Amino acid sequence: MKTRWRIPGSLDGLLVGAIIVVLWEVGVRVGNVPNYLLPPPSAIAQRMVQDIGSILYHTAATTLEVMIGFALAIIVSIPLAAALAQMRTVERMLYPVLVASQTIPKVAIAPLLVVWFGFGLAPKVLIAFLICFFPIVVDSLIGFRSAPKEVSWLARSMGTTRWQNFINFQIPAALPHIFAGVKVASTLAIVGAIVGEFVAADRGLGYQLIVANGALDVTLSFTVLVVLSLLGVLLYALVDMVERWALPWHVSQRAIEGDGR
Amino acid sequence: MSAALSLSSVGKIYQAKSGPVQALDGIDFSIGEGEFLSILGPSGCGKSTLLSLASGLEFPTSGNVALSGKPITHAVTDIGIVFQTDVLLEWRRVLDNVMIQPQIRGLDMKLYEQKARDLLALVGLTGFEDKYPHELSGGMRQRVSICRALIHDPPLLLMDEPFGALDALTREQMVMELHLLWLRTRKSVMFVTHDIQEAILLAQRVLVMTPRPGRIAEIVEVDLPFPRKPETMETRRFVELVAHVRHLFERHGVLKKY
Ligand SMILES: Nc1ncnc2c1ncn2[C@@H]1O[C@H](COP(=O)(O)OP(=O)(O)O)[C@@H](O)[C@H]1O
Ligand SMILES: [Mg+2]
Repeated sequence: MKTRWRIPGSLDGLLVGAIIVVLWEVGVRVGNVPNYLLPPPSAIAQRMVQDIGSILYHTAATTLEVMIGFALAIIVSIPLAAALAQMRTVERMLYPVLVASQTIPKVAIAPLLVVWFGFGLAPKVLIAFLICFFPIVVDSLIGFRSAPKEVSWLARSMGTTRWQNFINFQIPAALPHIFAGVKVASTLAIVGAIVGEFVAADRGLGYQLIVANGALDVTLSFTVLVVLSLLGVLLYALVDMVERWALPWHVSQRAIEGDGR
Repeated sequence: MSAALSLSSVGKIYQAKSGPVQALDGIDFSIGEGEFLSILGPSGCGKSTLLSLASGLEFPTSGNVALSGKPITHAVTDIGIVFQTDVLLEWRRVLDNVMIQPQIRGLDMKLYEQKARDLLALVGLTGFEDKYPHELSGGMRQRVSICRALIHDPPLLLMDEPFGALDALTREQMVMELHLLWLRTRKSVMFVTHDIQEAILLAQRVLVMTPRPGRIAEIVEVDLPFPRKPETMETRRFVELVAHVRHLFERHGVLKKY
């Protein structure tokens, strides 16, 4: 069989990223765009090296808020969804409240949270938590309900107890959906923490962004934005890795494997 | 001979969104201990419904269903079911899909693992024990689900079009394997199919159904000698029985007359 040389699938994303960076750099230089409007990637890289100390300091602060809020959301949402899935009436009563609460923009309540919980870690963690909470609950709930009728019939014909049913059928069937929700949440967690820092903070990438904007230091603003998106990508990749490890049987990976042949 | 499973004047009405659907009406029959009964009918005539009533997964709207003389009030657990879809658990490897039965039932896992391997070998799946279901073809998947229905050695086996997804060659082979297995173990079997030849080749009696609502057209005695073989299908008696069932379907408008 003839084999054509192909770019390994895992490098596709990196390749596109590299192309964007090159186009950006060339565009800025050829078009003579001034640094205070759009700095080229080289200037951003330079700035990153130069200010590495303060950037790492603020990155650490934001990462801490993100991780706590994100972890809290996972710890609370999944068991809540699992419980709701067992009790249809409770779900019917609580679900509209959940949806209604979700229509309130987190940005709008951020100042309130600062009033309630002060300027420290708590309000940022809380906003990150609130913003992550909903997608995980919704997807997990779908997951815990995803077993088709025949699966519950099979379970009943074996005489499963409710607990056996939950452990052996509901949880494994729910996991792909749970991971989908957690992935969405992983990107939102950072948004939440930054919103909190915008309102009131003395550290964190959101704080650094506000400072840079105030000083019209566009290069620093872009540097922070780049760090933020890297942080987001890393967190997403972490969840993806855990998923691959935990669900080797899962459909979405099946599709990717099939694509590679 | 006491009846393993008996249904008397059973009717089943589903409450669908579009209104009530009468799936079964006036169903009367029993399966004796060790008997192989085929249920034959076109799709939508209530075969799957019959199976879910027999297993206590659904309950009749009228009439009675009894197992060894006792009315069924709960899901029957002393039973092996092969559903119309294979219902494999995607997150479990092939062997573990079969082993779910002994695991849930709290049986000796070591002992049953060997049994599971033997069963998988019997249906030609040696070497696939550690594959995930999505790595198997439709026919292989259904064979795994047959192993899962057999592993705990149930006295009553319910099979809902188990070979429907198989290609013709594998199908003939599986039919013969099932026949040999039944001759060896003499379980009571309720075998649902829409294939006339398959129904006759395997069974001692064939219950022929008509649709909407599902009723019994006739229960046909299959007086063919055992063991049956693929060649049995070439015998005169077999051909007569097939023709008889075909005429039944024609008379009830299931098959068109040409
Ligand atoms: N859960 C259900 N709700 C409503 N109608 C149903 C349900 N299950 C089956 N039916 C209807 O009952 C009839 C018999 O269905 P089924 O037993 O699946 O037939 P078969 O297995 O012979 O194809 C069909 O008309 C079908 O649409
Ligand atoms: Mg059916």
